[in-house]
Amino acid sequence: MLSLHEFKAVLRVVEWDLMKLKRQKAFIAMRTAWFIIQTLVFGYAISKITRPDIGVDYYKFYLLGLYTALLYSASIARAYIIADEFDDGIIDYHLSLPLKRSVLAAGRVIGGAVSTIIFTIPMMVFILYLVGGLEPISLLTSIASAFAFSTGVVSFVVIIVMKLKSTDTTDILFGTIDAILVRLSSVFYPLPVIQALNLPAYYYLALLNPLTHFADFLRALVLPEYFLLQLTPAQSILYILGLGIGLLVVAIELFERKLEAGGVK
Amino acid sequence: MSSELRSIAIVAYRDIARFWRYKYWLAGQVAMNLADILIFGLIFNGVVNKDLIPDYVRFVTPGILCLSIFISSFSIGREVGVELRREVTQYLLTLPVRRESLIIGRLLGGAARGLIYQFGFLVFASIILAPPSPEGWVYVLATSFILALTMSSVSISLSTVTRDFNMQATIRSLTYYLLFFVSNIFYPQRVIAARLGPLAPIVDYSPLTMATNIYRWAFKYDVLLNPWSNLIGLLVWSLIIVVVAYKLYIRNLLRD
Repeated sequence: MLSLHEFKAVLRVVEWDLMKLKRQKAFIAMRTAWFIIQTLVFGYAISKITRPDIGVDYYKFYLLGLYTALLYSASIARAYIIADEFDDGIIDYHLSLPLKRSVLAAGRVIGGAVSTIIFTIPMMVFILYLVGGLEPISLLTSIASAFAFSTGVVSFVVIIVMKLKSTDTTDILFGTIDAILVRLSSVFYPLPVIQALNLPAYYYLALLNPLTHFADFLRALVLPEYFLLQLTPAQSILYILGLGIGLLVVAIELFERKLEAGGVK
Repeated sequence: MSSELRSIAIVAYRDIARFWRYKYWLAGQVAMNLADILIFGLIFNGVVNKDLIPDYVRFVTPGILCLSIFISSFSIGREVGVELRREVTQYLLTLPVRRESLIIGRLLGGAARGLIYQFGFLVFASIILAPPSPEGWVYVLATSFILALTMSSVSISLSTVTRDFNMQATIRSLTYYLLFFVSNIFYPQRVIAARLGPLAPIVDYSPLTMATNIYRWAFKYDVLLNPWSNLIGLLVWSLIIVVVAYKLYIRNLLRD
């Protein structure tokens, strides 16, 4: 259990991450442009070529999948930031601070997740507005589930980057992971459609993928007509929560016991 | 003149040789491109309206050829970005090579990577669609070379804009979305043009639309397309982009 002093220290680390977000104006502008292209150009065009009888308005289906992919990519982008900090010696400096490592790890993960949520909230609001699901309850539930999901992804990122300590390898690995995980999910096509392909390995990987669970949870939340689910929304959110907490614990453990300063490749 | 050519060849060879250092990355990218054709294509076959596109796998395959060029050519941009951060650039500038030769060598190295990487996908496209005629192969190879040179120019110049790792990755993704989503790779031209309204000509004159049209003609997906006008258009685009990229790269090289 955290003492009050440790809790304040965690908040200070979180604040440090949020301050970094304020300085990333160009990055935010570019990601916003990317979001606009995906929402208003690609999403619209791809939904115009889909069959009218697949059981869901594909544009709405795609938009909620797109938010999942955006949240995931923005969380993954923490990898680049942390790899940069390794390169610049900032991680070494952090490790020299009079802070418990567990506090530092928790602060960085939560700070990364909060930054990601703040950055993607306007996009979430816009998407919920477009799909007709912009209500206080669904918005708050979406934000809470997005925070749980982002915590898991940022924890995963921290675990991997701490192991790699290399900007180059980080770029290659996360570029690949990013693309693979989005493809092996129900982000852009419903699970029953994947199941109909008769490729069991692909279907089960998609079923295990947290992106599938978060995307389908959002769809179940704001699209009452959406029935192309393989798990109940409660099962999906429990899976996301479990994964988030589990990966956070592993990240803290790694920070406390395994991480050494220096050795940047 | 011959020493200049030799310098260019050495610089280009260095970048081609470094290409094989990233075996796992290459394997991952090949797997993803194949997944794009097979999985994305196959799944979308079940989702796409057959009246508009009878076979989505065949429709998207020529576009994946463009995608393979983009991915491999952009790998050199990533390396240029790392060199800039690690100040290897300073070392490169001290070499007994004229800056023009250095830059041309790098652009050609990037283009060669694109062509090497795309080779397997050309074979794959020949199987999925139909093998091109001898004239078709001339168009395919010319298109691939022009596109690879253009993409490597764009990636190298964009990578020198900022040293921020995160920004470099974001610029790369934004460039991808702008080029690929505002083209006829994933959907018919008229669908995207209808969305863009008065900006519809952007799709027609996109370099990727032109390249995809040539591939669709050469691999006999749509024999009614005019490959010649598309190739001329692509060449014009390439000349403009390569010149701008060259200027930007040389300016950013000397900036610090």
